[in-house]
Amino acid sequence: MSEDDTLPPFLEGRTVLLIEDDGRIAEEIVGELTGRGFNVHHEETGNAGLDAAVKGEADVMVVDRLLPGCDGLSVIEAMRQQGIRVPVLVLSALSAVDDRVMGLKAGGDDYLTKPFAMEELVARIEALLRRPDDTRNTKLRTGPLEMDLIERRVWRDGREIDLLPREFRLLEYLMRRPGQVLTRSMLLEDVWQYRFIPRTNLVDVHIGKLRRKVDAPGEEPLIQSIRGTGFQLRVSD
Amino acid sequence: MALAAMAGVMLMQFGLVYAQMEAVESRRSTELLQGEAELLAQMSPEHLEYVIRRRATDDLRLIINSAGLFDAGHALIAGDLHTWPRGLKADGKPHNIEIYPEEGAPYPLRLLAVTLPDHTILVLGRSFHMLAEQKFMLRHAMLVAAVPTFLFALFLGVALSHRALSRVKEMHEAIDRIMAGDIHERLPANRERDDLERLAGSVNRMLDRLEHLMDGMRAVGNDIAHDLRTPLSRVRAKLERAQSGERNPEQLEAAIGRAVDDLDQCLGIITALLRIAEIENSRRMAGFAQVKLRELMDDVFDLYEPIAEMEDKKLEALPSAAEGPVWGDRHLLIELLANLVDNAIKFTPEGGHIVLDVQQKDDAVLLIVTDTGTGIAPEERQNVLSRFYRSDKSRHVPGSGLGLSLVCAIAHLHDASVQIESGPDGRGTCFSIAFPVPVLG
Repeated sequence: MSEDDTLPPFLEGRTVLLIEDDGRIAEEIVGELTGRGFNVHHEETGNAGLDAAVKGEADVMVVDRLLPGCDGLSVIEAMRQQGIRVPVLVLSALSAVDDRVMGLKAGGDDYLTKPFAMEELVARIEALLRRPDDTRNTKLRTGPLEMDLIERRVWRDGREIDLLPREFRLLEYLMRRPGQVLTRSMLLEDVWQYRFIPRTNLVDVHIGKLRRKVDAPGEEPLIQSIRGTGFQLRVSD
Repeated sequence: MALAAMAGVMLMQFGLVYAQMEAVESRRSTELLQGEAELLAQMSPEHLEYVIRRRATDDLRLIINSAGLFDAGHALIAGDLHTWPRGLKADGKPHNIEIYPEEGAPYPLRLLAVTLPDHTILVLGRSFHMLAEQKFMLRHAMLVAAVPTFLFALFLGVALSHRALSRVKEMHEAIDRIMAGDIHERLPANRERDDLERLAGSVNRMLDRLEHLMDGMRAVGNDIAHDLRTPLSRVRAKLERAQSGERNPEQLEAAIGRAVDDLDQCLGIITALLRIAEIENSRRMAGFAQVKLRELMDDVFDLYEPIAEMEDKKLEALPSAAEGPVWGDRHLLIELLANLVDNAIKFTPEGGHIVLDVQQKDDAVLLIVTDTGTGIAPEERQNVLSRFYRSDKSRHVPGSGLGLSLVCAIAHLHDASVQIESGPDGRGTCFSIAFPVPVLG
């Protein structure tokens, strides 16, 4: 396992409640998450999952929509009615925009369509655990980067960086999630609000352009690519 | 069942004839009695008495079976009616009355009494034996006729139903063969002369249609299998080479990376297929709202401009573009335009030019993507919109081959039509999607 796969210390030992009836997928997910240092609690049915959620042991939940005898969404609704605010990632084979909207309306925080890559799942779980970030700040600061959200200006070590509006939005998204692995589809969904775009390397092109402006020759590269997964804004320790 | 119905029909027929006969006979006897009474009443009393007395030997007997001449006190003057029939009224109308002779069993007579000018009363009677005889004959005839009729009908019914059943049986057998998997089999319809054959003909036409659809699906299935096999066999070959060849970590990692890329392409194909099916199946307009094509165009331009620039192609959104309000699903329309732009960039050589435009016409709102790429031959234009079609020229270009099918599916959901033409001065391709003008309000 490369160093990219290890969790930041504050995520180590956090509990993921997985509600998934498909044994093989569950095994894969449990293996992957445990390997990365998460504590995984797996339930196969909606009722058992709801009980576990009510006990309040989970820091984040991963819920399959298609469970034996019930829709995973009803579990989330029941849970939300009992005032449980644990972030939930919904897994589904249904990818239509409407299904996604339904998933989010029912109280899900993110929606991932099968089939998915494990890195994608981990990145999204991590993103949910890091929430919420303070969106009221008008100034962001990450390492040498400084961003003024009102004047729409960015500096690196006092050098102003001239960005197009789309590049500004992308950098803002990265600066709000320092050190976090962000997948291409997360960026497409959150920065552009697009989901079904052919050629995900579009994101790479945008990141590439942004990187050339942020990381001047000779400077320490801040925007890093993580192979097979996505990108990360590096934070100096 | 059929036999019971037949017997019922026969009985009813018999009953009607029977009733009709009775009515005719009743009317006839009344006319006879009245006519005869009128004739006799014109005779002089002496002559009448004489006629009545000797009526036993007269022709009259054949028509009028009984006769009597009574005085005003109902006492017999002459005739073979010995007593005044009980309940008879001298009103010139026929009455059916039971007669009790001095010896023998009582019998019914149809009697008519008229008062003559000398206050004597003439009574004439006609027996029912004619009717009884006719009834008897009828019953007899029916019984005699019923047996052969019944047998004939039975025979005919068995023969016909056997024929019909054997045809139904043939159809059942044909259906069984079809269900067993022989989809080329058809029901015997001959020339569709009767209902059964016409039904078989309809079923056959339905089967033709289903077979055609199945062929289409099989072709798509074959294409999917083919398009998946290529990247999958590449993955396999790479992994195999990595397994048997040198095993330094960098090479292995590179091999794994390429394998993952190929698998991603397979997943991309599957995802695109599911996506198309999903869009084709969704008939709901719930998520529809007013969308401005101009904004959509600017967004997609923003997204694709860097990649076009990187590939040394010029992507341009015409500043003269119209607002282009249409009724639709924003996410789906973005997906549509992104696929068109992606396609255009893919098939335009370096140094090429891709132009996006929105035009407002009287009867349509047009979303137009023009490129200076390889172009599509007129005879291929319909094909490129169907699933998995790749012109030979584009075999080497990576992609799911489904982008334009997706465009079609989304356009169709929005009641929009897809037109493919040559670009300006005959080079490249111009895709235009014509949306209906939204109704105001």
